[in-house]
Amino acid sequence: MDATLTSRGTDLATLSLVEAAAAVADGSVTSLALTEACLDRIARHDLGLNTVIWTEAETALEAARKADRARAAGEALGPLHGVPMAHKDMYYQAGRLSTCGSAIRADFRPDYTATVIERLEAAGAITFAGLNMAEFAQNPTGHNRHFGDCLNPWNGDFITGGSSSGSGAAVAARFTFMALGSDTGGSIRLPASCCGVTGLKPTQGRVSRYGAMPLSFSCDNVGPLTRSARDCARVMRVMAGPDPRDRTAAQVPVPDYEAKLDGDLRGTRIGIPDTWFMEDVDEPIMAATEAALAVLQARGATLVRLTLPMIEDIAAYSAILGRCEAAAIHAQWMRERPQDYAIHLSARLFPPLGIPAPYYIEAQSRRGPILRAFAKEVFGAVDLLATPTIPMRIPTRLETDIDAGTPGAVERFMGVSRNTRLLNYLGLPAISVPCGFDDRGLPVGLQLIGRPFGEGRVLHAADALQCDTDWHERMPDLA
Amino acid sequence: MGASMTGDPKDLAVETAQGWFGVAPPNDAALEFAADLRQTVEAFEALRGRLRFEDEPVDFEAALLAYREAE
Repeated sequence: MDATLTSRGTDLATLSLVEAAAAVADGSVTSLALTEACLDRIARHDLGLNTVIWTEAETALEAARKADRARAAGEALGPLHGVPMAHKDMYYQAGRLSTCGSAIRADFRPDYTATVIERLEAAGAITFAGLNMAEFAQNPTGHNRHFGDCLNPWNGDFITGGSSSGSGAAVAARFTFMALGSDTGGSIRLPASCCGVTGLKPTQGRVSRYGAMPLSFSCDNVGPLTRSARDCARVMRVMAGPDPRDRTAAQVPVPDYEAKLDGDLRGTRIGIPDTWFMEDVDEPIMAATEAALAVLQARGATLVRLTLPMIEDIAAYSAILGRCEAAAIHAQWMRERPQDYAIHLSARLFPPLGIPAPYYIEAQSRRGPILRAFAKEVFGAVDLLATPTIPMRIPTRLETDIDAGTPGAVERFMGVSRNTRLLNYLGLPAISVPCGFDDRGLPVGLQLIGRPFGEGRVLHAADALQCDTDWHERMPDLA
Repeated sequence: MGASMTGDPKDLAVETAQGWFGVAPPNDAALEFAADLRQTVEAFEALRGRLRFEDEPVDFEAALLAYREAE
């Protein structure tokens, strides 16, 4: 522990989640000290970042003291014992605020708790804050009219990525050891990429969605943003698995992801798509991507160039599935309270009301056959796919500000999620890991995509990359 | 391939949203996004005939399981 602290300074909040949990377990650090470190860091720096919507400091500090007493008493400790966490403000906790980043739910306090929160807390985690997010989790940039934009810790002029904007920024700023995000078209991976952290969108159905604010019944996913793939592996084992309260949660056993992280990629075939994902990629992004692929290759992976099948089909159907579902569940508020939505959100919710139902049914009906054809061809040839998470250099908040009427904002806004949203239609697991910085000093993310329920292989490759790089350990200068 | 839409999808969206859902265009940006429905129509035109009679939505979860990683 001393060596770790020496290398990163003395701020306990800069430990990784796995390091923090180990320090509490071996008694070298108290949960109270970890929680105070996070709260102190937020107090000192969040005014300039706007990542936090609410905190419950006293409740968290008392929970931390209780965790320390439990350890002192020799009680059995969970894998996250005493580790403080803050989450995207859309995970319901009975009696606690859950704004969903919106004016409409500014005072919403649900009377039940999300399964994923219960599981994290049962493993010992302490929930202490709700984090900023795109309104109703519906933009890829992180803009928020109601609570103010969350600022990218690396440069506040640029977007954080969305919709889990506060989760990405807070993990990067070392305000929390982990944050839940949600991903319907890229909303975990985009802020992970923009903020220089690790974010995993699991397989559709891998993690229960009970108690998570709905956006798209078909494409919503619950997942973590963390500082490393190893941290991600630790929390995924806790979060994933069947849930009797969510019939869409898959009845698939959850492996010990962390135990399989050995950095050895021999025998792993990684596919590099030659279309869609690699088209019109900005030069600094391509350079960072290629450098990361070289690291994976040096770790034993075989790189395979390939053409992905049915991309036009997937693009067409993915463009309407989630949008139609979101429009349906927001139609009443759109009718009664349109003024309470940001311009960019009501603008996006409106057009799907004009899409014929048979289009939506067609998109649903072909999802299974397309996945079968895609998986058979692609995962018959490779084990993973690798792409840039975001093909363009990160745009500024102004360049993507639809509400301000910025010319070209709609195109840039939609372009941010080009490489992520197709995976939600296919339901495949995908992670974004830091792989460098662009020419303006902003993070670049590499997206690794696996076959269904292949989170273990995805995390294994991400961890292997992080064995030989330190991009995930770089911290923004908040001073 | 069948006939293409000749009207403006934006106008159709406005009419449908108002008539079927009671929702009026909230702002000019909504009309800008609605104009992009032309691309949606064109994309679906290009895919006509690929949906088979036997295809059904419940197959998606089965496909996830059928092609899952052996952990």
